[in-house]
Amino acid sequence: MDIQQYYRKHRKAVVTATSGLLYVGGWSLGYVTAFDTASAGILVLAAVIGGYDIAKVAYHEVRSRTLGIKTLVTLAAFGAIGIGEYWEAAAVVFLFSLGSYLEGRTMRKTRTALQELLELAPDTALVRRDGEQVEVPAREVEAGEVVIVRPGEMIPVDGEVIEGESAVNQAPVTGESAPVHKASGDDVYAGTINQEGALEVRTTGAGSDTTLQRIIRRVEEAQEAQSPTESLIDRFATYYTPAIIVLAVGAFAVTQDALLSLTLLVIGCPGALVIGPPVSIVSAIGNAARNGVLMKGGEHLEQAGKIDLVAFDKTGTLTRGETTVASVQGFGQDTEDVLRLAATAETKSEHHLAGAILDAARGLDDTTDVAADGGAVIERTGIPDPDDFEVVGGKGVVARHDGREVVVGNRALLEEWDVALPDEIAGYVREREAQGETAVHVVLDDDVIGVIGLRDELREVAPGVIQALKDAGVRTVMLTGDNERTARAVAERVGIDDYRAELLPEDKQTAIEAFREEGHVVAMVGDGINDAPSLATADVGIAMGAAGTDTAIETADMALMADDLERIPYAVTLSRATRWNVIENVSIAVLTVTLLLAGVLTNYVHLAGGMLVHEGSVLVVIINGMRLLRY
Amino acid sequence: MTEHTQFRVMDFDCPTCASTVERALKQTKGVEHVEVHYTTGRVEVEYDSDVADPADFETAIENQGYTPQPA
Repeated sequence: MDIQQYYRKHRKAVVTATSGLLYVGGWSLGYVTAFDTASAGILVLAAVIGGYDIAKVAYHEVRSRTLGIKTLVTLAAFGAIGIGEYWEAAAVVFLFSLGSYLEGRTMRKTRTALQELLELAPDTALVRRDGEQVEVPAREVEAGEVVIVRPGEMIPVDGEVIEGESAVNQAPVTGESAPVHKASGDDVYAGTINQEGALEVRTTGAGSDTTLQRIIRRVEEAQEAQSPTESLIDRFATYYTPAIIVLAVGAFAVTQDALLSLTLLVIGCPGALVIGPPVSIVSAIGNAARNGVLMKGGEHLEQAGKIDLVAFDKTGTLTRGETTVASVQGFGQDTEDVLRLAATAETKSEHHLAGAILDAARGLDDTTDVAADGGAVIERTGIPDPDDFEVVGGKGVVARHDGREVVVGNRALLEEWDVALPDEIAGYVREREAQGETAVHVVLDDDVIGVIGLRDELREVAPGVIQALKDAGVRTVMLTGDNERTARAVAERVGIDDYRAELLPEDKQTAIEAFREEGHVVAMVGDGINDAPSLATADVGIAMGAAGTDTAIETADMALMADDLERIPYAVTLSRATRWNVIENVSIAVLTVTLLLAGVLTNYVHLAGGMLVHEGSVLVVIINGMRLLRY
Repeated sequence: MTEHTQFRVMDFDCPTCASTVERALKQTKGVEHVEVHYTTGRVEVEYDSDVADPADFETAIENQGYTPQPA
């Protein structure tokens, strides 16, 4: 490398090292009495070389009428030379250079943690234009254009797969380490890695309009937003520095000791106190982002560190959110007829339970694939439409078909329609519910002819996640619209502390308010869309599977990019570790400044010593905060 | 014409240093609004392009002892 270029890049390091060597040389010479003048000369040289850049900035600081630490250090160095304390002058300059070099270096590490993500996204994309494949800059790809991604390449745009099949490593966006299978119709994100097959992707967003870019912007905004602790300290700092100057002037007036006043000025920069908390929070937010957890900002992070109760919406959170028919029982009717009849009644319903019943009914007669060309088109002739149909909110549906009335729903609906429930059937229903199924009654002209049991499988990781939260001393609660018995069965299986059953959406909000009134700091976990109100009510709203949904990224206090429940204990414990880290850093800083001030005023600590401790404490809080990058 | 530009300063060593850079930029001719973020190293400048030139901002940052990079 060109030596000049090298010097420019590493100027701070070179200057610091030179000044350090001279300082040590001059100091050693000082022990040999015959070389007193030489020692002084070398020490002054060390101060000049190390101090030149500092003094230059000080000049600009003075010109722009600001009082920064560099002005104070320059003053102190000149002052020390003026009163013949060459050793002090060289030491203060060298220690300051060394400290700020190391501080800049470590902070750069924190700042680049996120940038590495950004550099992941490829610069060019292979686009099909006018029947030809052309390589264009990734940011110039337009929405709707088809991008070809070869195996092993990074996907350059956000889009939908229209051709091909592959495993995609989505770690940069979602933090998941396991590759995700992608086929026609699936969404893919810029910055993720196509591992196996070639894919053709219809672009939905490119350049700065991609999920990865949005994540990075969100994370940066979060890192730049001040937490309550930071604002408090900033307000304090605006009074602290002037107060120290007044103290320094006062001390000089009383003691006539210039060195004492200069020392006070040098430690007058609040240093560790203002640096510590931001470093903790930035490191934690950066770490979370790399693990697929977006935090809205320091304020939410500090709040999340106090979480002692996590409420889960059951469906799609603790469970997979894929309801299937688990059992069908006919009472005086063939089971298949029960299912078909229920499907007919539910054809037009958009409820997720209806979807499961329809799928099961279609499964009965899908023996013939009617698509002549072998495509995946399944004709839905098996299920006739009802003649008339009405949804009874939260209870079920009432339909009319072939002149007969079909009611499909829960017990409340039977009561509303005055349908008698024989003991035998009621007993069967209780049995299914004790298995964690949601039982739906099928009624034909006032007679219960069958019961369909629906089940939404628990996620395999759910019990482990609940246990991890319990181990962390967090209370866990499940909120669900299911009936009491089903809820209890699911709650027992997952090992959750408590549950609230038969809740309408607005009841979930009330439940969360109640927990808060009991004095809990409540986190609510949901999908971020249906649960938006309860997420907003909680102290910390955590949205899962946010990668595709911008609203969830924008509104939730924390958004899990992947649909990965296991991030919850991680997010909760990381927040807690961050809160402690901030407390540690503030304590270290306050303790250091107190001891320093006491030391200076009692004449135990002098210029160089004060600088050493001051810079040392700054490094300690930075390194302590950076531990969170590796949490 | 008001325009907007961004720099990255990766070597800020303390929050007060970031605010001195902010003040220095504010005093540069033609600058309308400045935001310097210590934590991310992001420097945002809004300026009147008839009066100011982004090169001036780089000089102002360098004068404070830091290395601006394009963002």
